[in-house]
Amino acid sequence: MQKLLLTIDKISTFVGHAFSWLIVALTFLISWEVFSRYVLDHPHPWAFDVMIMMYGTLIVMAGAYTLAKSGHVRGDVLYGFFRPRTQATIDLVLYVIFFIPGVFALTYAGYYYAAESWAIWEHSNVTAEGPPIYPFKTMLPLAGAFLFLQGIVEIIRCVICIRQGEWPSREEDVEEVDVDKLKQMVHVKDEDIARLDQLVVQEGGKK
Amino acid sequence: MKIRRELWFGFSLMAIIIVTVLIFTPWASLFDGHLSHDDLGALGLLMLALIVVAIMLGFPTAFTLMGMGVAFGWLAYRSVNPQIATQQILDLMVQRAYSVMSNDVLIAIPLFVFMGYLVERANLIEKLFKSLHLALARVPGALAVATIVTCAIFATATGIVGAVVTLMGLLALPAMLRAGYSVQLSAGAITAGGCLGILIPPSVLLIVYGATAGVSVVKLYAGAFFPGIMLAGLYVLFVIIVAKLKPHLAPPLSEEERRVVLPPISQALSGRSRNAVAGLFGGLRDAGLPRRSVVGQLFVTLLPALSIVALLLLVYGGATAPVAAVDTSGLVQAGSGMPAEETAEPSSGLQEPPMESAADSAGVKEPEALGTAAAPVAAPSAAAPRVAPAQAAAPVAPAAERVPAPTWFWIVFASGIAALLLITWLMNWQRLEIFKMLLTSFFPLAVMIVAVLGSIVFGLATPTEAAAVGAFGGLLLAGAYRYVAARQSHRPHPINATLRDLGGIMKESSFLTAKTSAMVCWLFVGSSIFSASFALLGGQELIERWVLSLGLTTVQFMILSQFIIFILGWPLEWTEIIVIFMPIFIPLLAKFGVDPLFFGLLVALNLQTAFLSPPVAMAAFYLKGVSPRHVTLNQIFAGMMPFMGIQVLAIILLYMFPQIGLWLPQLLYK
Repeated sequence: MQKLLLTIDKISTFVGHAFSWLIVALTFLISWEVFSRYVLDHPHPWAFDVMIMMYGTLIVMAGAYTLAKSGHVRGDVLYGFFRPRTQATIDLVLYVIFFIPGVFALTYAGYYYAAESWAIWEHSNVTAEGPPIYPFKTMLPLAGAFLFLQGIVEIIRCVICIRQGEWPSREEDVEEVDVDKLKQMVHVKDEDIARLDQLVVQEGGKK
Repeated sequence: MKIRRELWFGFSLMAIIIVTVLIFTPWASLFDGHLSHDDLGALGLLMLALIVVAIMLGFPTAFTLMGMGVAFGWLAYRSVNPQIATQQILDLMVQRAYSVMSNDVLIAIPLFVFMGYLVERANLIEKLFKSLHLALARVPGALAVATIVTCAIFATATGIVGAVVTLMGLLALPAMLRAGYSVQLSAGAITAGGCLGILIPPSVLLIVYGATAGVSVVKLYAGAFFPGIMLAGLYVLFVIIVAKLKPHLAPPLSEEERRVVLPPISQALSGRSRNAVAGLFGGLRDAGLPRRSVVGQLFVTLLPALSIVALLLLVYGGATAPVAAVDTSGLVQAGSGMPAEETAEPSSGLQEPPMESAADSAGVKEPEALGTAAAPVAAPSAAAPRVAPAQAAAPVAPAAERVPAPTWFWIVFASGIAALLLITWLMNWQRLEIFKMLLTSFFPLAVMIVAVLGSIVFGLATPTEAAAVGAFGGLLLAGAYRYVAARQSHRPHPINATLRDLGGIMKESSFLTAKTSAMVCWLFVGSSIFSASFALLGGQELIERWVLSLGLTTVQFMILSQFIIFILGWPLEWTEIIVIFMPIFIPLLAKFGVDPLFFGLLVALNLQTAFLSPPVAMAAFYLKGVSPRHVTLNQIFAGMMPFMGIQVLAIILLYMFPQIGLWLPQLLYK
């Protein structure tokens, strides 16, 4: 079971990682476009549409990945104080009440939304001859499906947690504040901090 | 199990809300499906109450909002036409989601976030802190001031509170403790400084607010600039005053800590003349010294002078441009105040490095002159965004006569020349070293920030374009610093090593960017579905009617709303507050005649306070994670309190004198 969970996690992560590179592409694309427009005086009419599509694809496709790494913001006032079992119970109930219907509806609606777009070979109307927009609209149901899948994994996680009393493990990923890495970056070692402690104690003694 | 007090409090609050909800739910009409107008409004309020409960329970907010929005929206549609209600709510949902996906304001978020992660990983904070520390060595409370300035600059470029606080906790806290600073003051300076990135543009918070409230991000950036600087300035002022009044809390630095080590060539030349410029010119004729490095040093020494000359030429070009471009010259002049203000502090410190003899005391005697001299030092950073207006002005009417230079130009010219002479005269060997350090740490970052902000604020580029170019600049910066590091540590094939490093940096940064922006944007998807349902149910209307029935004056309304936002800042993150609650406040603003732009600035300042208010202040926990064992959370909280007081003072100041925030946007976008 744990293996299956981790496999689906890996799929979400892989998709998320793959689409993350869009931000690099987006940076280069816009930088080039800015250069091309202001220096070479040669703007591209499709640039705006492509920018938006890259951004939109990036954010929706990273949704499942973010969920797999529990990166979606949550109110931490009470949640942090709960025991894992309580946390899992609350999560389980709310996944079933809010997540499943919400994301299912989004995927379902997104499917028809994209299908309509495919049916008429819709093109962007921002500029006169805009690029095709149906692949972009397809991203919404696709992202919804991945998110739904990941949501089911999270539900199973909750069930396991309720049974075992502790959360099953997750795969590691880059973290925003990785203290060890930051320590290494500025060449600070744990001993240095420990040595510093004496100063704090001394100062406390003086008062 | 012993349930903690916090839990009791939370649960009883929830119980109260749920019981109220159950009592007031129009059950009867809910089941037969015939909801009257008032029933719907009541449902809307219930929805709001429930969302507070659900958020407090700790479920990912984006999906709570989405699920609840769908359910209640369906109820609202069903009361009108049960047959097509399902189709309607699905349409609403997908359109809302798609509008977030194709939002041309939110697109700047991943780019700015990406830029932040890249700059963070460029690994320049160590150098930045060290050079600022030396440059500010004469100021009372030098280390704390240097900490705040470093934080302000670094946080502005990165915008990541956790990383800035952690890094400064690793760098500045040991330095301050070793210098005998009190734990409280050190902790306060680090946490308060680290949070400045929330407010000072280019900040993600302002983009999110702009997208929610429909206020132009450009105006918000222009408006938040001076309040941000003001807040940083107040922090610095506070530290200086504390250091003056209670020297035992922040003792002055010892001679040892202030000493600048001179490289051999400077030592050799310092016998010749105390002045670096004269010494280096003399060194040119000295055959005993490596000529190339003398010329190199001389070039660095003359950089301020060169940039002042370049700036004067540009201003002259702008001032004497043909009549059609008169507006532009005003623009240029207005702009000159801004970057100078930003960099004035660090660079005035530049003028005051350790002085060893009385002969050198001119700097002490002429503080005012130094102040004016400081401004043009900032010129190199200001030059970049200013090139374009001046150049743009020129081709407007090439046939027209150039106008003679106005009087103000000659005043600028004279002060520029005076500054030039003063800098040249004051440039001794220690200052030269400090200047070189600043040149490699402070100025690149400052130039980048000013270029990004300047191009946005002066309307040369959209925030998206500026963010992308900023991210590209961040990449170059990271590459340059890694390359220098690789060269210095004598790794084989420094270019290959740098490229490999850069690949790793790009990979990590883009993964983190994907997670952060997905988090913000899915929250947006959820909240826009939610607020659409809320409006459908008429909850908005009900709240409006209720607030108006209170008969508040504008001032009362402002105080009340800011107070509510402040309270919400405890349990919720700023993203949640803005995307969920701003749509409720914004329509009320028009009724009270409050400018949404001004309101946004107040909200941004206010939410920053939330980062420093115990017991939930994230900054404190980040600092605690890297501080020595005996530094307690209480000490950190105690250190943060005065800075929190300053923030409240800043909010009041901004409210009393709205011009602090509104002057720049009004000037630029009349």
